[in-house]
Order: sequence, then C-alpha cells, then structure tokens
Amino acid sequence: MAKFRENLITNCEKKFIIKNLEDHTRLDGRAFDEFRELSIDFGRDWGCCYVSLGKTRVLAQVSCEIQRPKSSRLSEGILSINVELNPLGASHFESGRNSELQVVMNRILEKCVKDSRAVDMESLCIKINEKVWAFRVDINILNHEGNLLDCASIALLAALAHFRRPDVSCDGEETIVHSYAERDAIRTVIHHYPVCITYALFKEGTVVLADPTLLEEGVADASLILGINSYKEVCTLHLGGKALMDPENILKCTSKAAHRASLLVTEIKTVLKQDDERRVQGQINSFQSFKHAQGTKSLDTLTKYLDQWSVQKRKRDSKRKNTENGTVQPLGKGSAVLLPVEDDGAKSWKPSSDENESDSCS
Amino acid sequence: MPENIGEFVFPGDVVRDLKVVNGVILRGPGLHSHEEPNCLLVTRAGKLCFKPPNVYWVEGHFKRYYPKKGDLVVGIIKKSGNVCKVDIGSSEVASLSLLSFEGATKKQKPDLQVGDVVYAKLLSAHREMEPELVCVDSYYKAGKLGPLSNDGFVMNVSLNFVNRILDVNSLLLRALGQKYVFEIAVGMNGKVWINGQRTIDVLNLMNALLAAERESNSNIVNVCRRYLT
Repeated sequence: MAKFRENLITNCEKKFIIKNLEDHTRLDGRAFDEFRELSIDFGRDWGCCYVSLGKTRVLAQVSCEIQRPKSSRLSEGILSINVELNPLGASHFESGRNSELQVVMNRILEKCVKDSRAVDMESLCIKINEKVWAFRVDINILNHEGNLLDCASIALLAALAHFRRPDVSCDGEETIVHSYAERDAIRTVIHHYPVCITYALFKEGTVVLADPTLLEEGVADASLILGINSYKEVCTLHLGGKALMDPENILKCTSKAAHRASLLVTEIKTVLKQDDERRVQGQINSFQSFKHAQGTKSLDTLTKYLDQWSVQKRKRDSKRKNTENGTVQPLGKGSAVLLPVEDDGAKSWKPSSDENESDSCS
Repeated sequence: MPENIGEFVFPGDVVRDLKVVNGVILRGPGLHSHEEPNCLLVTRAGKLCFKPPNVYWVEGHFKRYYPKKGDLVVGIIKKSGNVCKVDIGSSEVASLSLLSFEGATKKQKPDLQVGDVVYAKLLSAHREMEPELVCVDSYYKAGKLGPLSNDGFVMNVSLNFVNRILDVNSLLLRALGQKYVFEIAVGMNGKVWINGQRTIDVLNLMNALLAAERESNSNIVNVCRRYLT
C-alpha cells in the first residue's frame, strides 16, 4: 500500500494566512487570543474521557494493574502516559511506529503531569518494595485539526480525575483486590491540575495566536507550549521551532495562559461533578454530546455572505409596490390567491373553487 | 426498480431489482458487482442515487480522491524538477512534465516552486501506474489550465460538493458572482482554489462555500434564488 504523506501547505495558503494576520483576522473568525469550543465527555467506564476542541478530538482511557515498583522509588506508584497516533486521526499517522510528534507529545505531557507531581504517587503504593498500582493512560487521537497537545492534556487530566481504582485489602501475606461491586472504588488523589496551553508565533514572535488550527500550526514559525495549573504555577515551558521572542512577550503569554488554565480547570471540575451526580442518580449515559449533536446553522451563514446586495433590494421594493395594487383573497384552508387589479378596475381573475372541493374530498 | 432509491445505504447492503437495459447496469462509485443477477453490493455509506435508464451510484461525504482520466484537478507541487511531483490528494503522487505547458520548450519552462498550485488535466490514470498530468489540451493550448497565482487560497471540500458546484444547473457560483468579483478553480479532487480582489472577499467566499457544503441542494437553490435576478 502506498504511504500517505503529510499534507503539504501551499505557498498561497501561507501567504493568505500571513496577509490575514496583518488585517488582524483569522480564517475561522476568532480573535488572536480566542480558543475554540471545548467539550468534555465521559464514557461508561471509569477513566474514559472524550474531549473535543473545535474539530480536534481525543479519547483517553486510564487502566491500572498491580506491579513491582521501580527500584529507584520503592514507595511510589507508576504512571505511564502513552500517546497513540493512528491513521484515524490523520492519514499520515502510522500506528505502531514512534513518530517524532508522538515522542514530543508524550514527553511534554509527562513533563507537565508526571514531573510536576500532580498525581499523588505515594497513595498508589500497596506494599513497599512489593506491590504498587501502575496507571497507564492511553491517549488516542481521533481527529487531528491542530493543537493536539491542549486537547490531549485536558483529556489526560479529566480521565485521571474521573478514574477510580478498585479497593485493596491486605491480610498479612495476601492482597485482595475487591471488585467495584464489592467495595466502593477509590479516587486518585490529584494535588493540582496542570494543563498545556499552546500558542503559535508568527512574524518573529510579534504575533501570537492562541489555540492554532492545523493550518496555522503549519505556517507558524514556532510554537510556545505552557503547562500551567490553576494556581498560576508554570509546570512546563516548551518552545518549538525557530523564532525570536521577547521575554516580555513570554511573560504576557504566561499570564494569559494562566487565566485560561484556571478557566479550564473549573470546567473540568464542573463536568466531573455533573458526571458524579448523574452516576449517583443511576443514569450512566456515556458520551452525552454525541446525542446532543448541535444542528449547524450553515444556511444562515450562507445567507449572510450572499446578503447586502443593493441591486436586489431595489428590485424587491419595486415588487412590493406591485403587490399593493392587488388584493389577496383567501382560498380554503392555508392558501390564498393574489388578484391583480387591472387598469380599468375589472377583475379578470376569479378564484376557482376547485381547490376547496379537492380539500373536502381528502 | 429498487425500493430504496434516495435512501441511505451502508457497506454490505445489497441493492436488488435493478433496472437492466440490454443486459447492462451502469454503476458509479460506491457500488460493486454481486453474484446474483440484477443486484449490486454497496461498498460505501451514502445516498443511493439513480438516473434513468440504468445508472446507479452512491453519493456521500467522501474526501478520498481516485484519479480518473480526463479529470480537471488542482494539484500542489511537492517536488520540482524537469518532471514535477504533484499532490492531487490520491494515494500516489502524480507527475507533471514542465514541457507540457503551453509554449514551453527545453530552454523556456515555467518556474514552479515547491508548494505552488497548478490546475491540470489527468492524461492517464491507471491503478498500477503513477497518474500523469498535463497543462495543455489536445491542441497544445493552455485554455484555463496552468499554474495558479499565489495570491489566492486553496481549500478542501468533499468530492460530492465539487460535483454539486460544477453542476450546470447550480446557482451557487452564479449567486456568489453577483456579489463578489473572484476567480475560482474547482478540482475534481476536492481542492478548490479561490482568488478575489481583497482578502476579506476570499475569506467570505471560503466561508460561504463551507456553509453550502453542509446544505441540501434545494436549500441552496432557495437561498440563491432570493439573490438572483
């Protein structure tokens, strides 16, 4: 089978985007520091989270098993993050092969969540030097439309916060893992919620775009990735690509990102709370947003772009004048006929009663 | 006549009782032959369409392009040289010789850079071979073919929508043309190149086309009629 390659960005697309940036517009009509619409959803299982950011879609699933701890940290659990890029997300992604993007994403997410010690690892220990919980988070990219990292980091955090591990009891020698039905499952302790926020830099760092789309990512000189929690603590800073940037600009970005991060964390927390309430009531509806797919208002949009055509307006006015001369006569239920008035005042048109008869027949 | 004309069909469905003219059924994309007589197997999800006397096809939101001989496509140069490699959205890259432009000689060739856009015609498309593009017709004249200016914008739409805008009876481009002054090159591969006088025009056109893509034909006609004389 032929190998699919990454979509090439044409010169005219590059030029067009830069030209639009000069006019302070983005292709999707957002402001420079505006983010796309976010929705977070949970599946039926614990730790299954589906996040969509604009058209980018990510599914995260947490799973756990009991393992021996690492020899360097005997009393700590294990958290492994595994980003998977399969051809479902974009045709040039290959499953089962480590691409550069995958490694970079994995590392940044690890830096953001694991190295900032957001998850309390010591609480995952069952018996020192023998048994600890090993969490594995699989992050699947379902659709790639730019800014995968933000989407993945939100999915990762929400999935971790949603996940419950089975309870364990020890009687000297043996450890017993209780099923979910037997004993209530235990939440993971999360100290703080660090989320990644990406900015794309254009024109040597003078223009900064929040939440870049796939096209903007391709055209941008560099990208600035900030991992920030709701207490405005920076956990990660990653600058990819080549761009000159003022330290002042970076600080500005950071304060904007901090604001965004606190919004995101409250969003995650409210969604988690809603899911909890739903589960208490016994309704486990997986993936709410699939059911409430929003109807697109594309027809209105089309009308908007076709509208304001001055010539047409004049035409319509003249038509209205004509109609004023006629009289509207009702004809049965839900129908009417326009009777034009002739110059001599005589009515040449007569409403036929066929319509009424056929109505009564049916 | 099958009962489910105009309804949604899914891969694996079998369409029965097809109309046969002289022992022939013409089948378009999304349908595959079936062992039983007068039956076809559906291979894509979409709307089953029929055109008298015996043409059947499946219409849907497809984006993968399969090259077909004679199609006019918008391609992106991936590799320049004497024979350029052009991305037309198919699984194989197409080749385009720099000599197949109007008036091109060995000494005088068009200057094509990587990332430039061309409007070209498919000279050959075979399953086992690289598709070949040309930018001249059979009289060695360019017509409308050739390199496209770098001022416009290239957008991707579904293949079905391409057919809809190129339909002779379609009012969409005419209605847009009443309001905006623009150039458009619609490739059968789903790539559409637009250029207007101002960037805002191009942006509006782009959004209008994206909005129209999700609408049914009758809705588009209704809206366009309002703005056409």
